[in-house]
Amino acid sequence: MSFRTFFLSLSASFGVAWLAVVIVPYFKMRSLEPLSMGDDASGTNVVFIPKRAGRITEGAEVYAENGCYLCHTQLVRPTYAGNDMFRPDWGGFKYDDERGDSRRETNAYDFFGEDFAQIGVARMGPDLSNLGVRVVNAYAMDISPEDWLYRHLYNPRWKPERRDSACPSFRFLFDEKDIKGNPSDEALEFAGIHGGEITPTPDARALVSYLLSLKKDQPVPDSLNFSPPAAAPTPAPAALIPAPAVGKEGDAVKTDAAPSEATPAPAEVAPAP
Amino acid sequence: MSSAIPTSTEKDALLRAGIDRSLRHPVMFFLTSGAAWLAVSIILGVISSAKVHSPGFLDSCSWLTYGRTQAAHLNALVYGWGFQAAFGVIIWLMSRLSRQECRAAGLILTAGHVWNFGISIGLIGILSGYSTGMPWMEFPVFAWPVMLFGYFAIVIWSFIQFKVRPDGPVYISQWYLMAAMIWFPWVFITANILLHIIPGNPVMAAGINAWYKSAIIFLFFTPVALGTAFYLTPKVTGRPIHSYSLAKLGFWSLAIVMPWAGMQKLTGAPIPYFLPYVGAAATVLFFIPAFTAAVNILRTAMASGDVVNNSPTLRFTMAGVIGLIVMGTAAVFLNLPGSTLRYSQFSLSGYGFEILSIYAFFSFVMFGAIYFIVPRITRREWLSRRLIKFHFFISIYGIVLIALVAIFGGIQQGVGQEEFNISWTDSALRAFPYAWAMTIAWCAILLSNFFFFMHLLVMWMRLGRRSSHPTLLISDHGHSPHGEEGDIDTGGPGTASAAAH
Repeated sequence: MSFRTFFLSLSASFGVAWLAVVIVPYFKMRSLEPLSMGDDASGTNVVFIPKRAGRITEGAEVYAENGCYLCHTQLVRPTYAGNDMFRPDWGGFKYDDERGDSRRETNAYDFFGEDFAQIGVARMGPDLSNLGVRVVNAYAMDISPEDWLYRHLYNPRWKPERRDSACPSFRFLFDEKDIKGNPSDEALEFAGIHGGEITPTPDARALVSYLLSLKKDQPVPDSLNFSPPAAAPTPAPAALIPAPAVGKEGDAVKTDAAPSEATPAPAEVAPAP
Repeated sequence: MSSAIPTSTEKDALLRAGIDRSLRHPVMFFLTSGAAWLAVSIILGVISSAKVHSPGFLDSCSWLTYGRTQAAHLNALVYGWGFQAAFGVIIWLMSRLSRQECRAAGLILTAGHVWNFGISIGLIGILSGYSTGMPWMEFPVFAWPVMLFGYFAIVIWSFIQFKVRPDGPVYISQWYLMAAMIWFPWVFITANILLHIIPGNPVMAAGINAWYKSAIIFLFFTPVALGTAFYLTPKVTGRPIHSYSLAKLGFWSLAIVMPWAGMQKLTGAPIPYFLPYVGAAATVLFFIPAFTAAVNILRTAMASGDVVNNSPTLRFTMAGVIGLIVMGTAAVFLNLPGSTLRYSQFSLSGYGFEILSIYAFFSFVMFGAIYFIVPRITRREWLSRRLIKFHFFISIYGIVLIALVAIFGGIQQGVGQEEFNISWTDSALRAFPYAWAMTIAWCAILLSNFFFFMHLLVMWMRLGRRSSHPTLLISDHGHSPHGEEGDIDTGGPGTASAAAH
């Protein structure tokens, strides 16, 4: 075999795969069309474009620079690929106060505004796709969500139930300084040191903004919705009907779901524990 | 022997000695600086592995936070050690196989410094918090053009040597090495341009990154190690390879299948649905090129079992080939969509598979090559058989532990992750024993490479034994079966010992 034949065969065998799995999909996905969400009350067409900007994108850089993706993923896989949807609060909440079942899979629009989707390489810690939802709804009960995250970043093992956490402390994202004059408004209340105070650096503030922005539970257009509510033409699968106990009076989802309540109640509709 | 007109064997010996002499400085530079980066990488590996089970360890300093040391550890391993070992072996093998002295040793040496400069600023960038956050591409953006420039300046001479080689058949090692030299810049330029210069959909960018990692393993490290093993085994045993057609089959199956692999790491992510499946299928099919090449090399070597046992080169190379078999098996076992892929996708298995491919397979073959090449270019023999044995056995213990953790521990951890009824804390705790095992394994590998690095440093300073008997792993000095190992012409080119091989 001459070098010429060798080089051509090599280019062909590599080039086909290169075009098919790298170049064509990349450029096809470069310009995703905004998807229509239908008209709102005033008749304006609403599009789905969950864009993030400003301090949140700066926070994404802090996330990348400190290697958070080595232990945390940001991917709620569909059920054919994993059980992420079944874990309480990973894909959203099954019994959301306002919308019923807010769980959904990650979609291609979720990372708009970031340079690189931090899908992550391992789950030494939990998935963070909906960390913002979790902190607000479940963790930060008596303090503000920001304070909860500052505490967590400062010492991930500060709560007894989290003593086994393997998350590193990010103390280097905080400044320790003596109090001169009035104490800072931003000083962390939990970690006061004698005569001094601890304040988050701009990096810590950006990171917390980013972490609180991790909410992938907003309503999506029908074309992206793989588990449409009962409003869709096809009857909803029984598991997706919101539990009657949590649905609000006059809630659209609940009203639409009403006809299918005639079907025998399956086990999944049992009230939340 | 002392006739006025040199015979053809004497000419060969002179040519070999000339090639070795012309390449001494660049090859030794790549091998020693590669070994130094290997040591740096392993130390960072021990630190970050310890942080997984003891998060309070060295946690007061931003430079040593887990997310930075782990990224620096992998990048030092891949670009500092892996690529530099590969460069040293590529330029030497391509010169030997093209029967050309190297005429650009100074330029290659300079380019090697450029490459090292790129790695150094890249690693400092990662540790000081300027990582890009893309796995295996964490070096700050300014590093990749420097590395690419260094790369071309290093390998371009091997292409030229190949182009002007004397007529004759092309050996399978040359196909493997040429392919690796062509694939790497193609993959590297594609990934860096798409991710750094032409912004696209962020999820697809993550897909390109997964493909890049896979391509570096399967389209650079794998062919370089296979080409080297296909050279060393027949050379040391003095037998032709078992089946040349099987070798070609192995090569073309690698070339056709492996460029498709990689995106199975994004199964379930919003990228076109066929990509993860194609990636998983291609990764599973890695067993074809792996097993054909491994069987071929093992059959060649097993015909002379004593030599495998006595020769440091062959012992390391065969251990690497067995590592390839384990890697091929793991590629099948960890990537079955619908059964194991969901467990291995986000568990220790991913990291374990990378270490398996870079250390158990690639590095062992590179160690074999280093034990072969260094005595020839320094014209000194390895000082101590015991140091070589320490390096071999302690490395084996370490890597076997990592392989067990990678395959079984990772799957156990993945099963825990998928058990959605138990709390996440309990799932995450399943990784702790395996993290401990990883730390112990890295400590063993650190110890073994301390011996290796010291030994190599002594050889680099040309303090090796002046002898025409190679250092073999047998305890009696009485007889030396150097006929099969191949003597080194430390007596000078043209002497009887040089003419024997």
